[in-house]
Amino acid sequence: MRKPLSAVTLAISAAFLLTSCGQGDTAAEGDGSAEAGTLVVYTNSNSEGRGEWLQAEAAEAGFDIEIVGAGGADATNKLIAEKNNPIADVVYGLNNVYYEQLKKEDVLEPYTPEWSGEVDESLADPAEDKAYWPLVQQAIVLAYNADTMSADEAPKDWPELWTEDEYKDRYERVTGMGAATTQLVMAGILSRHRDDSGELGVSEEGWSQIEQYFNNGVPAVKDLDLFARFAEGEVDLGQMPSSSIPGREEAYDVTSGAVAPEIGVPYAIEQVAVVKGTDQQEQAQEFIDWFGSAEVQGAWAQEFNSLPVNESALEQAKPEVIEFDEQFTHQDIDWTFVEENLAGWVEKIELEYMQ
Amino acid sequence: MIRFDSIRVTFDGFTAIHNLDLHVEPGEFFTLLGPSGCGKTTALRTLAGFVDPSAGDVFVDGRRVTTVPSDKREVGMVFQNYALFPSMSVWENIAFGLKVRRTSGAERDRLVEDMAARVELSGDQLHKKVSELSGGQQQRVAIARALVLKPKILLLDEPLSNLDAKLRHQLRGELKALQSDFGITTVYVTHDQDEALTMSDRIAVFNKGEVEQIGTPQEIYDASASEFVCNFIGDSSSLTPALIHRLNESTPGSPLDPARLSYLRVEKAALDLPGRDSHMHDDGSVSVSGRITARNYHGQHSRYTVRMHDADVKVLVKEDGRHGLTLGEEVRVRINPAHVLQYAGTA
Amino acid sequence: MTGSTRRMLRSPAVIITMTVLVWFIAAFLLWPNANLLIQTFFPDGQFSGRAVEKLLSSERAMTSLANSFLLAVALAITVNAVGIFIVLVTEYFHIRGARVLWLGYATTFIYGGIVLAAGYKFIYGADGIVTKFLAGFFPDMDRSWFEGFFAVLAVMTFATTTNHMLFLGSAIRNVDYQTVEAARNLGASPWTILRRVVLPTLKPTIFAVTILSFLTGLGALSAPQVLGGQDFETITPMILTFANSTTSRDLAALLALVLGVATIAMLSVMTRLERGGTYHSVAKVAAPLQKQPIGHRGANIAVHVAAYLLFLIYVFPLALVVLYSFMDSAAISTGVLTLDRFTLDNYVRVLSQQSALKPFIVSIVYSALAAIISVGGLLFVTRLMLKYRGWLMSGLEYLLHIPWILPAAMIALGLLITYDRPNPLVGGFVLSGTVVILLIAFVIVKVPFTLRMLKAAFSSVNGSMEEAAAIMGAGTLYTFRRILLPAVLPAAAAVAALNFNNLLDDYDTAVFLAHPLYQPLGLQIKANTDGGASVEAIGNTFVYTVLLMLVMGTVMYLVYGRLNRTRRSPRARRVPLQPVGGSAGTPNTDMPGTATVDGTSSARVP
Repeated sequence: MRKPLSAVTLAISAAFLLTSCGQGDTAAEGDGSAEAGTLVVYTNSNSEGRGEWLQAEAAEAGFDIEIVGAGGADATNKLIAEKNNPIADVVYGLNNVYYEQLKKEDVLEPYTPEWSGEVDESLADPAEDKAYWPLVQQAIVLAYNADTMSADEAPKDWPELWTEDEYKDRYERVTGMGAATTQLVMAGILSRHRDDSGELGVSEEGWSQIEQYFNNGVPAVKDLDLFARFAEGEVDLGQMPSSSIPGREEAYDVTSGAVAPEIGVPYAIEQVAVVKGTDQQEQAQEFIDWFGSAEVQGAWAQEFNSLPVNESALEQAKPEVIEFDEQFTHQDIDWTFVEENLAGWVEKIELEYMQ
Repeated sequence: MIRFDSIRVTFDGFTAIHNLDLHVEPGEFFTLLGPSGCGKTTALRTLAGFVDPSAGDVFVDGRRVTTVPSDKREVGMVFQNYALFPSMSVWENIAFGLKVRRTSGAERDRLVEDMAARVELSGDQLHKKVSELSGGQQQRVAIARALVLKPKILLLDEPLSNLDAKLRHQLRGELKALQSDFGITTVYVTHDQDEALTMSDRIAVFNKGEVEQIGTPQEIYDASASEFVCNFIGDSSSLTPALIHRLNESTPGSPLDPARLSYLRVEKAALDLPGRDSHMHDDGSVSVSGRITARNYHGQHSRYTVRMHDADVKVLVKEDGRHGLTLGEEVRVRINPAHVLQYAGTA
Repeated sequence: MTGSTRRMLRSPAVIITMTVLVWFIAAFLLWPNANLLIQTFFPDGQFSGRAVEKLLSSERAMTSLANSFLLAVALAITVNAVGIFIVLVTEYFHIRGARVLWLGYATTFIYGGIVLAAGYKFIYGADGIVTKFLAGFFPDMDRSWFEGFFAVLAVMTFATTTNHMLFLGSAIRNVDYQTVEAARNLGASPWTILRRVVLPTLKPTIFAVTILSFLTGLGALSAPQVLGGQDFETITPMILTFANSTTSRDLAALLALVLGVATIAMLSVMTRLERGGTYHSVAKVAAPLQKQPIGHRGANIAVHVAAYLLFLIYVFPLALVVLYSFMDSAAISTGVLTLDRFTLDNYVRVLSQQSALKPFIVSIVYSALAAIISVGGLLFVTRLMLKYRGWLMSGLEYLLHIPWILPAAMIALGLLITYDRPNPLVGGFVLSGTVVILLIAFVIVKVPFTLRMLKAAFSSVNGSMEEAAAIMGAGTLYTFRRILLPAVLPAAAAVAALNFNNLLDDYDTAVFLAHPLYQPLGLQIKANTDGGASVEAIGNTFVYTVLLMLVMGTVMYLVYGRLNRTRRSPRARRVPLQPVGGSAGTPNTDMPGTATVDGTSSARVP
């Protein structure tokens, strides 16, 4: 019977491999990370050297991390899609809207970091059992090329871009909805036209604004930076998270200004959280304790012009960053309303307005 | 009608035809016969205009056509596998040549129908795909396609070679009947001696790029001009010098030369059976004794091998139920020295 | 027939194999796709037209659909024009240097898909080497001239003539030369012969490759993504966009279904045509085709010029990629090509930096595993199918062809939405987010091709050998192991090698399913084509391309070079050439082929 058996084994081994691989690999992954302690970190905040910096600093502090970068919405979607079998251990950098989504989908594991006392608790997870905590905040602004446009010539608010002829075809409009910044800009505009009887809670007027935004702007070019296009003279205006402005001004040798509308600008409060189902919860928590600490956030602020939420870290932030931030007021946005409707808005925009 | 004048054909240094002179009479069914690679197909293709000779000239109906393109030579050709166009119907196949000649529609219809009727293709068959036809019908389409252009000559390149034995026999007759019906000068290429003998008016036997013999089927068979022709056509027994001596002894003044290679067609030898008619004895034949060493039974007849004077002489005996000869039996065999074919020895 | 089914179920080995097979079909071929349908139309157990309404009211989605069909139709025309031309100049006409031309046109065998799209972008794109070079002379030129519909169509046209070279090339070689001579004898001109005699006999093959080209255009992913730009969006990239968002997946599923239905419709048209329209050569013995000289001098010159121009179009990007893989970063970014810029840095970097080498290794491991699993798993299954022909087996065989009629995007999406939660079909495991799910997808898409090839291999084994073994008392499994397996092993190895090649530069499946930490090469190359990629990344891509071509070329040589030398061996014959690089977006990673490839397979050979 030995020989027939070997043939049987041959025949089924292939098919069997599929299943055994499934078990083997997940197990192996767990084992591997437990041994090596590699933390998988999802973020939308890894560009301009942030990822490399963090990886190097973390390694020095004894954390072996692997960073997977994606746009804010994409990262959120990925985390939700993987929630039954999470790859990530930690997620940072997304704004509170996404974290709220993630929490609803039961992706996050509640944790209160050591530095929780150093941050404004109102910016963190509003729930009792807090799952996410703020790291930095930044204004999402309409930036313009100050070399071609004086502060007087610049628009006073977003809608002027498509209502005033002089700005038409001079501002860059997005071509994808995956970025957190983009979604906040959209949320900032749509929130102004809240109408609970309208489609997705927005009046027709609101949707017409979005339509005009897409019709009158110059489409963005994938991975071609807005400021690079300022330098080339292709466009004069576009959306930008405030912390990215100083680095880009330097890189592309342009001077920029930011529009400070009366109604205020949307703020992104970037958070950090432990992913539920991680097999290295302790390590993930330690990493968050380290990353959110005043020391690291201070260094991060120095390096990347961020505005830390951590009060002791804020002292280390660059004065010009703080000064820049002071010109804006926070737009009054009902985040619950946004969070409820954002997915629908994005889908509608993708389908109907984006070309 | 057709004349090959010192034709020589070379392919990449290999000479397929050395120096061919050939003359085909009008209305003749002329066969080029030979084993594969003997140059017969090359000769036909030279005539058709698919092969350019390196020397010599080809004439059709007195006109020199050596450099004339194939379709201007007024020759129609039926290919080995008929080369019917698989993407066209039977009608379209036959009409193809007329169409490229821009024959008017009405005229074309008339000619195609006329030709179809002559080769006995029904209107029904005309609209079939060629792949739906039987082998015989395909052959008729191929002939119709060639003849509808009213060529002066019809060339047939082994058209029966890919068919099974039974169909081959049947189509052989059909083909010959069509040819005599149309009365068209025909050049036929085959390696099948049976086909050549039964269908041809005259045959040219090819060997290694040269013509060994040209003649009527009977001349080729009964008076094979060379040892090659003798062996290639029909069945014969090789005779030993000892046997030739024996024949000469019984026939005073016999011209047979023992030093030459000698053959005897199998059907020319006969058993000299006791009690048989003896009028055969008067034709100058010689009775030689030998011993039966083998028998091959064929149903209608048996072929006996009789050992005599070191020669194995094959003898055909009709199986009419009268004789039962046994192996090892002593028999006498009658051989007429006049039937012995002799060739210069090569050994 | 029921008798054979009953007889089959007596052997335990057979029962185990059958169980695994049925499970595989149910878990990976049927349920994910059925689930996709359910999720689209019955998201909460109730019929919902939401996805349909949304899509219908979306101008963008409708434009994408229209673009996809436009691309499909245009591609069917252009690929035929170019494909027929290159087949004629390499196989039919007497053209000087036809061998060299053939080699140039055949580069698509080892250079296709995302790799080719990336290559074209690096050469002709807005920041491409050629564009930069030209901009030096014409500063006002539109730098993104190679973008949009035209660019996608051009790239895909030159990437997908592989089918023509395979199928049409082989069909034209089988044209009976006597028909050409007969037509000539009947007075037809060379042009008439080509148009009325030769091309009509190729019509079924042309139909088949036309439909393949159509499907390729319809499901295009990488080329529109890389070169389509803003104004030319097609369906599959949109599927990808919506697939990423959990709330919009029904839209992705619906789009994938549209693609799937179109594919099935086209393939059934093709099968119908094939059944009705094949022109079986009447000839029992066909004379080999001889190359035709072009008599007209002007035409001859024109055809030569066109043939060599095409040759340049095919070879130029490839040659530049190879050359620039040896240039330093500065040379790549400025478009200079000089000997003193020569460096091996790019190779050193790719081969020594773990992060650069990793995608390559990941791809090799995935492809090798999938190749071995698909062939190994199907060896015994194929054998059973041939031995126990019956309703059960033919039913299962049909089901195993499912991946062949569905676009890769749909298969990937089905797996993704079905196994992102624990499912009893796979032992309660969650497959999404694991490294296995891509492997499963790779195996799935390779099943139909493997099955067909192995079937042909088994059928070509002399049946008497098996009977001889049986008379001498060998058991079924012993016979399989000692007689049949060794006989089909060379063919099986060849099939595995081709599967390996085909998956190596996969993008269309991986983009949906790859594990974020184990991204195969295709994804890396795609990432490197984005505007923000560093010069080093571009250099890496050049090196990847060269390495890929080396690996694929070697595999092709081992499979075909050796096969050709051992032609007489009966068992090594029947592996038809398979396009390896894929196309710049095939409906499926396998290219369905046509009947005319070899006489043994009456239907298509993928």
